[in-house]
Amino acid sequence: MKRLVFSCVLCLPLILTAQVPDAPAQQAPPAAPAGNASGGQPAQKQPVPFLGKDVPSFDPGSEILTWDGKNWNVNNNRLFQARFEKYLNAPEETGQQDKEYQLIIKAILDKLAPDVVTTKSVDEAFRLLPRASNYDIDARLCDSLADAIYSAWRAQNASQRLEYANDALEKERKQNEWNAKMAAGQAKLENAPPGGKNGNKSVSDQWAKEQQLKRDMETQPYITRLAEILALIKVNQAKKELSELQTKIEFQALIVQFFLQRRFQHVLIATRFYRAVFSDGETKLQVGKDAKDLFAKSLGMPPTVGTLDSLANEAIRDVREGIQAYTYLIQKNELESATKRLGEAFTVGEYLPELRTLPRDKKRLALEFSQKGNQLISAIEVKDYTLAEKLVHDLEKSAKDFDNSKPMAAIETAKTVSALHLAKAKNAAVSGDKQTLETELKEATEIWPRNPALAEVSGLIFSQADVQQKALVDLDQLLSQHNYRQIYDDKVRFIAAAALYPNRQEQLTKVLSDMQNIEGKIIQATEISKRGDYAGAWETAEKAFKQFPDDSKLNLLRANLTTQAADFVRTLRNAEEMEQKDQIGSSLAWYLKAQKIYPSSEFAQDGISRLVKKILPST
Amino acid sequence: MVIVIVVASLGGGFYLYNTVSDPYRTLTPLDTQSYLENSNSLRGNTYKLSATIENSLSWSPSVGRLFSVEVETNTGNSVLPLLIPPEFNQINIQKGQKFYFQVEVGDKGLLRAKGIKKV
Repeated sequence: MKRLVFSCVLCLPLILTAQVPDAPAQQAPPAAPAGNASGGQPAQKQPVPFLGKDVPSFDPGSEILTWDGKNWNVNNNRLFQARFEKYLNAPEETGQQDKEYQLIIKAILDKLAPDVVTTKSVDEAFRLLPRASNYDIDARLCDSLADAIYSAWRAQNASQRLEYANDALEKERKQNEWNAKMAAGQAKLENAPPGGKNGNKSVSDQWAKEQQLKRDMETQPYITRLAEILALIKVNQAKKELSELQTKIEFQALIVQFFLQRRFQHVLIATRFYRAVFSDGETKLQVGKDAKDLFAKSLGMPPTVGTLDSLANEAIRDVREGIQAYTYLIQKNELESATKRLGEAFTVGEYLPELRTLPRDKKRLALEFSQKGNQLISAIEVKDYTLAEKLVHDLEKSAKDFDNSKPMAAIETAKTVSALHLAKAKNAAVSGDKQTLETELKEATEIWPRNPALAEVSGLIFSQADVQQKALVDLDQLLSQHNYRQIYDDKVRFIAAAALYPNRQEQLTKVLSDMQNIEGKIIQATEISKRGDYAGAWETAEKAFKQFPDDSKLNLLRANLTTQAADFVRTLRNAEEMEQKDQIGSSLAWYLKAQKIYPSSEFAQDGISRLVKKILPST
Repeated sequence: MVIVIVVASLGGGFYLYNTVSDPYRTLTPLDTQSYLENSNSLRGNTYKLSATIENSLSWSPSVGRLFSVEVETNTGNSVLPLLIPPEFNQINIQKGQKFYFQVEVGDKGLLRAKGIKKV
């Protein structure tokens, strides 16, 4: 039952525009010539079937309606949601007018009840139809029904008149038959010429032919008229049958339309009128194949007026039960189930008084739950999982039967997968894998676009990238300036920045190694200086200076120590100067003097050794 | 009076001894400062040098022995290199010994001993 009603409900927009009575006599199209099947002629455009290419089907388990290759969830449907919310917001229809209308409908149904129906009660019920159609809720459907009944009665009157005409024609036919018979009987072959006696046979034959022609001429008008009368009788019989069938089909189409519109009270009224108007017992629905399939495939039997009647009664009962269930579930604070039951009842019997008279205060509870439920669906659809999670918690508070497993599974899965992609993005950023970074960020964004961590991580990665880029530019600049001291002072920044670039890393490693060496020499010289050994300190600084002449800190220390060890430095300078001038004697004397000043001097010792070798090469 | 005469005699005798014992007393003492400033300018000259052996720098059988010697000057002590040729190999020269040297400023300003007399 529900399958059929759901199918009908979802088809309603189409049905309302496409609902026309089927052709009175559905004549099978002439069989196509065998040659057509081969496709020798261009295929003619097929008209769109009544219900699309396929008959709608509804799966109550998944609440999915399948129709024409498309699927809808009946509870998650914009059209349904809009109508349902409109209903939930509407005030209950318990006014005077609503009560009067329902009283009229009840009176009509009572008068047409099978156990009390008479010609008089049918007439009285018919007279109530225009009164019922005066109410807005009726939407003039009772007028349509009254028109159909009136048409049927008119058709039946016309049939009666055709019957009388046929009787008259039958009498005329009989008269003509008698006349023709009499005319043929009077023309006897008497008084024939005596050809036989005198033996003139040809004269006798000629006379007989003339007599036959004369008889034919006398009976011909009667025979012609007889044929005409017979044809008229046949035409009148066909007209009579056609007229009755036409009105029947129109009436049935109206009943089907009421059913599809879920006007089940009108269905009951119409079926009862149908039985009263067409008393021949033929109740099989003369609808098209698609409409017939809609019922036949859902019910498993050919549709009849009685089928629609019982379906309407069942729908009314189902809605009544749904409302009772809703009221009970609301009391138990089980809003999810209550809302579903109300939604189902609304889907089936939107116009039934049980639904229309439900107080708005009671409906508001379902409305609030429904709105939040719809909001939750939207939030999950747009992947706003933060909002979705909040809504789930709200719904849990308001409805103790709310099943959070599905939304929470979706939310948690999305969050986990998004976090996974973000972690991968972070790793890719650290390892400098730009392509993976972009891919993972894109994946994380697609899964959870409004993930707060996304902006945070993106910002972090991009700010890191900026810092890194700036550090690399600075490093290149300082390398070109040989400003290794600055690189050494900012080594943490440059180590992090160059970590992803092997070439720069190699350069940086060398710079830092040299600077470590310089720093070591500076510390060494400073320590020696602290002991008062300025010549030794200077010599340490000088050796480092020869290797790293660009370091400012070393230069400063060397300059200071030069002042403090001026005598030793000057002596060494003189020695070197004399050595350059190839004055070996003077140079060696100066080196010896320097060694006297600072016995541990490596410069002095080296100079002495060098010059001694020049003087005594054989040693 | 006698004591004064005795002391004067001893002093005179010591001076006389010292003077007589320096065989190069007629030579010009080496101007250490000039040598340090430009030894090449003194090349070919011969000087007297009174010096104490500081250190043996090197030795070559064919060229001789190279010593650093400490010389007293007006501005303080100076250390000079001195090459002792092989003809003086029979003389033992050790650190701390004082000698009178007849030196010649040779090629590239190097001091070469031409005569040696132990003090």
